[in-house]
Amino acid sequence: MTIVDLMSEAKMNVELRSKAIKKGEYELYNCFQCMRCTSGCTSMKLLELKPHQIVIMVKLGLIDELITSGIIWTCAMCLKCTERCPQDASPSELIIALRNLAFDLEANVPEVYLKVVSAILDTGLIQEEQKVTSRDFEVYDREQLNLPKISRPGEVFKNNLLMLLTPEED
Amino acid sequence: MEVGVYWGCMILTSQYAYEVSLRTVLPELGVSIVDIAEVSCCGTPIKNVNQKAAIYLALRNLALAEKTGVEDLLVPCNGCYLSFSEAIHHWTKDDNLRTEINNLLMEEGLKFNGNIKLWHTIDFLHDKIGIEKIKTAVKKLLNDLKFVSHPGCHILRPSTIVNVDNPEKPEKLDNLLRVLGAECVDYPEKLDCCGAGLLLSHSETALTIAGLKLKAIKNLAVDGLVVSCPSCKIMFGAKQEAIGTIVGEKFEIPVLYYTQLLGLALGLEEKNLGLELNQSPIEKILEKIS
Repeated sequence: MTIVDLMSEAKMNVELRSKAIKKGEYELYNCFQCMRCTSGCTSMKLLELKPHQIVIMVKLGLIDELITSGIIWTCAMCLKCTERCPQDASPSELIIALRNLAFDLEANVPEVYLKVVSAILDTGLIQEEQKVTSRDFEVYDREQLNLPKISRPGEVFKNNLLMLLTPEED
Repeated sequence: MEVGVYWGCMILTSQYAYEVSLRTVLPELGVSIVDIAEVSCCGTPIKNVNQKAAIYLALRNLALAEKTGVEDLLVPCNGCYLSFSEAIHHWTKDDNLRTEINNLLMEEGLKFNGNIKLWHTIDFLHDKIGIEKIKTAVKKLLNDLKFVSHPGCHILRPSTIVNVDNPEKPEKLDNLLRVLGAECVDYPEKLDCCGAGLLLSHSETALTIAGLKLKAIKNLAVDGLVVSCPSCKIMFGAKQEAIGTIVGEKFEIPVLYYTQLLGLALGLEEKNLGLELNQSPIEKILEKIS
C-alpha cells in the first residue's frame, strides 16, 4: 500500500497530531514542500520513503495512517533531510516522534526494535559480548585480545529505564 | 594527557579491532585512556521508541564519565557521539527535562554538570592531538597507498548539534590520511550513508545501500576504504561478501579503521592493531606497507 492509497481513506486525528508535535523540536508549519529532503533521502531510492510526504501528512493530522503503515520504519537515520531542510522542519526528528508515538500506542513497531530494548534492559548493552573470527579462522574473545572485562550498570539503571519506557497517562 | 573513553556497545561487544588499535595508538601519542565503569548503551536504539529514555541513558553515561574527573571524553562511535551531543543539547535547553533526569541520576549518586568536552576519534586526532604532532610521530610513511574515506553520518549531521567536521564537505579524515603519507581522493559518494540504520528491520535493503557505495568505490580503483565508525565498518567490512552476493558484484576492497593505519604508520606491530580481525582482504595493504 502506498502513501497515496492511505491518504484517500484517511481521517484527520487532531489529538494524535498534537501528541506527535509535542514530542520534538521542529518547525513543522514552515515546510513549503520544496522536497529538498526527499531529493537526498537514503531510503527514497529503494524503499520509496518521501520525507516531505511524511511532513505534510502530519500537518494534515493523518497520524494513525503513519504509525500503522510501516513507512516510518524505512528511514535509515542518515539525517541528511534535517541537515538540508531550509525551513528547520527536521523530517528525521518528526519520524522519531512518530516512532515514539507508535511505541506508546502499541502500534506497528518492528519486533527487532523491541528485542534491542529488552536486551538493554537485561544487560545494559544492545547485545552480549561476541566471539569474533579472524581471517585465519581463529576465534577470539575480549580476554584473548587483552581487553578489560565489560563493567555493566546495576538495578537502579534498569528500574529507571523501565519506568521511562512505560507510557504516561494523560 | 588523560582522556576518558566511552566505547559503546558495538565496540565493546564485537568491533574489537577499533578498541585494540585505539588502546595501542593513543599512548604512543602521549594520551592515557581512562575507562568508565558501569556504563550502558548510549541511548541511540532506545531513541526509536522513547526519546526521553535515550536522553537518560546518554546523560547517565556522561555523568559517570564526569565522575572519573576527566575533562575530555573520547567517543569513538559515531552513533554514541550523536546520542551524547543531542542529550547535552536537550539538557541545556529544557529545564523540566533537566530536573527530571537530575533526580533519576541522583538515585545512583550521580550528577551531570555539563562540563565534559566530547571528542570523536576524527576531531580528537585532528584538532586535540593535532596534525603536526602526528606528522612528527610518523615513522613509516604510507607513500604507495591511495584511499577513500567514509566519515559516516552521525558526526556530521545535524550540524546544529554535532560539529566534528564540515557537514557537506568533510575533510579532516582525509587530512589525517594525507599526514601519514597516503594519497586520499575525493569522490561523489563520500557522504552516502552505509545503511546500517536499516540493518535490523530491512536487512537486504541495508546491504544494497552499502553495495551501491562499494560499487562506486570499486570503480575508483583505490587501495582501500577508511572508516572511523563501528557500524560503517561492519557494513563495508564484515558484510562485504554478503553485499556482493546481493548486488551481483565481486568486492575485494580492504576496509580499515583509521586508527589501524595510524598504528602502522607509527611503526607499531600488526598484532597490536587488531588487523587479524578485519574481514576484508587487507593483505594487499599490509604487503605494500612492509
